[in-house]
Amino acid sequence: MKKPDKVDVVIVGSGAAGSVYAAIFAEAGKRVLVLEKGPVRKLTDLYSSQIWARRLKWGAPHVFEEGRDSIWYNFNAGHGYGGAAMHHFGVWPRYHPEDLHERTRYGKGLDWPLEYEQLRPWYDQVQEDVGMSGDAEKEIWRPPGAPYPLPPLPVFEHGEILARGFSALDLRTSPIPMAILSRDYKGRPACIYDSWCDAGCPTGALANPLVEYLPRATRAGAVMQSDSYVTRVLTDRKGAKAMGVEYYDKAGERHELLADAVVIAAFTVENSRILLNSATDVHAAGLGNSSGTLGCYLMSHPAVNIFGLFKEETRCYLGVTGGQLFSQDGFEKEKSRDIFGSRQWEIGLGTKPNDLLGIAMSRADLFGNDLHKFVNRGSRHLGAMVGVCECLPHKANRIELTDSKDRFGMRLARSTFNLDDYARNLWRQTADLGVEIFQAAGAVEAWHSPPGGQHIMGGTIMGQDRNTSVTNEHAQLHDAPNVIIGGPSVFPTSSSVNSTFTAHALALRSATHIAGHWNGLIA
Amino acid sequence: MNMPLSRRNFIRQSGLAMTFAVAGKTLLLTPGEAYARSVPFSILNQEEVKTLEAICEHLLPGARENGVAYFVDRQLALDPNDSLLFIKCFNIQPPYRDFYRSALAEINRISEVVYGKSITELDQANAATLIESLRDGNVSGWNGPPAPLVYHFLRNDAVDVVYGTMEGFADLGIPYLAHIEPPRAW
Repeated sequence: MKKPDKVDVVIVGSGAAGSVYAAIFAEAGKRVLVLEKGPVRKLTDLYSSQIWARRLKWGAPHVFEEGRDSIWYNFNAGHGYGGAAMHHFGVWPRYHPEDLHERTRYGKGLDWPLEYEQLRPWYDQVQEDVGMSGDAEKEIWRPPGAPYPLPPLPVFEHGEILARGFSALDLRTSPIPMAILSRDYKGRPACIYDSWCDAGCPTGALANPLVEYLPRATRAGAVMQSDSYVTRVLTDRKGAKAMGVEYYDKAGERHELLADAVVIAAFTVENSRILLNSATDVHAAGLGNSSGTLGCYLMSHPAVNIFGLFKEETRCYLGVTGGQLFSQDGFEKEKSRDIFGSRQWEIGLGTKPNDLLGIAMSRADLFGNDLHKFVNRGSRHLGAMVGVCECLPHKANRIELTDSKDRFGMRLARSTFNLDDYARNLWRQTADLGVEIFQAAGAVEAWHSPPGGQHIMGGTIMGQDRNTSVTNEHAQLHDAPNVIIGGPSVFPTSSSVNSTFTAHALALRSATHIAGHWNGLIA
Repeated sequence: MNMPLSRRNFIRQSGLAMTFAVAGKTLLLTPGEAYARSVPFSILNQEEVKTLEAICEHLLPGARENGVAYFVDRQLALDPNDSLLFIKCFNIQPPYRDFYRSALAEINRISEVVYGKSITELDQANAATLIESLRDGNVSGWNGPPAPLVYHFLRNDAVDVVYGTMEGFADLGIPYLAHIEPPRAW
């Protein structure tokens, strides 16, 4: 098929945000082309295997990670249709109102350019679209919003055992808010709880982009194009308007695609990298960087996995990967003079024998026959949960270009990330508390993992002031409003909640607004 | 819960099957079957294979006969985006074969320096001491990639072939419960 050379909207990336933009713009009658760096993925490609799951992860181009802390880019990012959302676990809590006003309320971090009440209806709409499961009343920390359309996922032995520890310490748990179906919904089947979420859910029970927004987009006429690697945004002579994008196809052939609007939704590091690589004489420091903040305020949630062995069989290989129960007790940010930031628990993680979050890796110190013994015991008796912590945005944590280049001559990205003492202390406190919870639950042994990084945010943050941010409240570049940014790269603060739900809600809000005001905003 | 499954029953369905060119024919084999038939390697040389098999066998007994060297060798031939190796999850600049080659050569060199013999000839006690020093990052004179990463990657390659397959789950007596079984070839 001949490749188009002009569309209304080109969308770079087919993940959580890109798929929403594609659906809404296509349904508004726009000619939409989605360029995806990776290959076509179909639900039938999603083999149940932690080994095969690695196909869904990022591999190249390489991101140079510097600083004391890793953002775990390859582990968090995706490759192929659906992007990172193909291997996400579907844990979808909402940002809290106070997460959006940290500078005003606490004198730390940044403020978002919108209120929770402006985001709330879009959370409600997304959960209705995809079919979320949960219990809004029992999830006592949940900000206001419509009840979940589906009842909560069931709790099995693993969750019940760990819940004992929370109860013993007077900590509360609730059903976990999940973008996974507890009942059949809109022609999609309910989950069967065999915990292959990380490998990509082929049944359609978990709301990855292949089951809701990408099908809507293509039904409305959007065209998907795989193996198309976008390198730059092309701008007009004044630099105030995007004209389209430059990309390379699988054969390495260069193309220029013209578009009235460009959506960059290529995940956090690539979003900044593409804009930085789009520098011209007018935008010498990168497109959208008149504030000098492009690439800045990189964030990742410091996470700690808690493990324990129990006398009872936990059957940890069942359930769903993201957990069976949830707790935001301890979400308040001002914990002490030395500890700042929210925290949440995802309890009873579905755990298979191998891979980064697997049984064998939970005791990474063991090898030889000791490892055999542990995996055999752990496969029946392991308990696992994760504590997810907040980190504050700092300008020095950033994405920049290196002098190394990809095969098309475009400079590669470098991330620099150092957690501050508030986050380090919060992580330490969370790790200790997690072990205490497991001991209270009756664990024979309990321990925690080293620090890990979950979710990656920032780099193209939204804000009211064009001198201190990259995009406005609708994720349009201040400097070139027909360039729209999708994904958690626009988040000014991290909270401690998983980012995918909010990425969907923001994209739905922005896409609906821009589609409804196309002539004034884009044309 | 013990499942009525045996390793033999699962060989046929293994999630680690790959295509191998043998005597002009393309065969579909698990890494373990490739090991049993001494199928040629495509990326690793003979010394690298022996080193990899030896250290992985110490890291998790059974890794050699489950074909860990074949698994790694086949994956090192792929584009990094298509790789199924554990190393892909980490911040290692491709090509991954550079990491493996450097690591394996350094393991052998250290073994020769410290024990006067190759890793393939080390007894269990000396091999364990060497592995502990890799794990803890305190190998005197180490001049390869970060030693703890070498430990983690090789250890997890061994875990993948021993426990990450349908046969591995069967050995543990836990149900695999595939939505879609991993295919015979990739």
